[in-house]
Amino acid sequence: MAFPLPRGITPSEIAFLAEMEMVTIMPRQRLEGLELLGGPIEPIVPPRRASLPLWLALLLKRQRRANILPPSWLHPGSLELILDIEAHHNDYRHAFSPPPPLPGQPNVRELARGHEPVARPQYTPDGERYFASPPFLPQNAAESNFDPTQVPSLPFHWVEISSMLLDAASDDLTDPDQIRRLLKDIREVRMAKMRAGVDVLDAAATGGGGVALTGVGAMELGEERGFLSGAVDNLRKIGASKEQARREQMAEQRANGGYDATQDEEEDYMEF
Amino acid sequence: MSYYDIDSILTDAQKLPCTFELEVPGLGILEGNAGEDIKAGTRLDLPLWLGEMLSIGARLGTSRLVTLDMPEALSERVLNALKADPRTVDLRSLAPHFYNLSERILELFEEEEMVDILTDTFKKRAAEIADHAHNSRGAVGEGVEFLRGLDETERQLFRAAHDRAKEMRAWAGQVKRK
Repeated sequence: MAFPLPRGITPSEIAFLAEMEMVTIMPRQRLEGLELLGGPIEPIVPPRRASLPLWLALLLKRQRRANILPPSWLHPGSLELILDIEAHHNDYRHAFSPPPPLPGQPNVRELARGHEPVARPQYTPDGERYFASPPFLPQNAAESNFDPTQVPSLPFHWVEISSMLLDAASDDLTDPDQIRRLLKDIREVRMAKMRAGVDVLDAAATGGGGVALTGVGAMELGEERGFLSGAVDNLRKIGASKEQARREQMAEQRANGGYDATQDEEEDYMEF
Repeated sequence: MSYYDIDSILTDAQKLPCTFELEVPGLGILEGNAGEDIKAGTRLDLPLWLGEMLSIGARLGTSRLVTLDMPEALSERVLNALKADPRTVDLRSLAPHFYNLSERILELFEEEEMVDILTDTFKKRAAEIADHAHNSRGAVGEGVEFLRGLDETERQLFRAAHDRAKEMRAWAGQVKRK
């Protein structure tokens, strides 16, 4: 191929993006406030916890000026629960464990009891309303009021953050070896699920079916992107003649049967 | 497929069995005897691009010059083998650009069943390719036999999956070294 760069973004680029996530630290030294492009950082005073971007937290950790408080999901207990959901839960046999809830979205148990999701707006310092979405949610900050009823869930950047924390701050985590083992198991279960998706991909290529990728992390997507898109593209090419025949048949039906709303809807769908 | 795509050009060059319907003066060179005429009913293997051109004469009002047949790579025998077990068939020895070729053939012939068989074949083999690609030993080990039988499209797929897995491992190792 003439274009030397591979499709999609590389693992180090994904990791770079993950470094913008906010994490909680326990400082050991005072640090003056910083004016960063991503927003100002409050002055850090030792006994008080602070939220910092991951890259800055890692820097302070390497200089032994702070300890990182691990997010609640990066704990052997939570990971064991997630692995159990991934591997043994019937509802998630072909799906991935649910992503963290959005603000205002009821958790899994409340949903089962019939709670409706309500979008809860947040306000900027200027008083403007906005709705936070995944990359900007504090999913990796250690929560002071940890809710034990909430099912733990993996955030979007779980692969990158966990491997960076395990590497730089393994002494701040509980039982890092166990965490490492569990993370590896979870990754393997999820990768197997994603590849099993190839079987239903042709349904996606001919309209109708699809593969749910809800809850899949950035790194996992980056890894499988080349393979999955190549596979779908090829299935589409093989099925092109059949698709053509189907379209002609439908056009004929429409010509005979006059205007019909459902057909029109399907036609719109196919043109995507 | 773009104009300069080498795979597309090579697909065009694959041979297709054709039967001449008419006598063509002076075209004996195709058969190897230059200067002679080519008789009606002669069977010849012509490249895909030429066979395609000659066979669509019917549309221009003249009777068609040649009729096309299924290439050996998509014969009944091969399709039966693919139906039985897609994983054991050596597609590369049948045609180096097996899927590209079948795609072109399916444009020329209406073969509903063949589409189903090929789709199924591709899915089963893609799953196998993904498994081999994520194996850290890559293309060595017990999978050699299967991987040697991949056609060009499947090789590209293997390469995409394998490179990504390799980059991931490189990144994970890099994080540790820092």
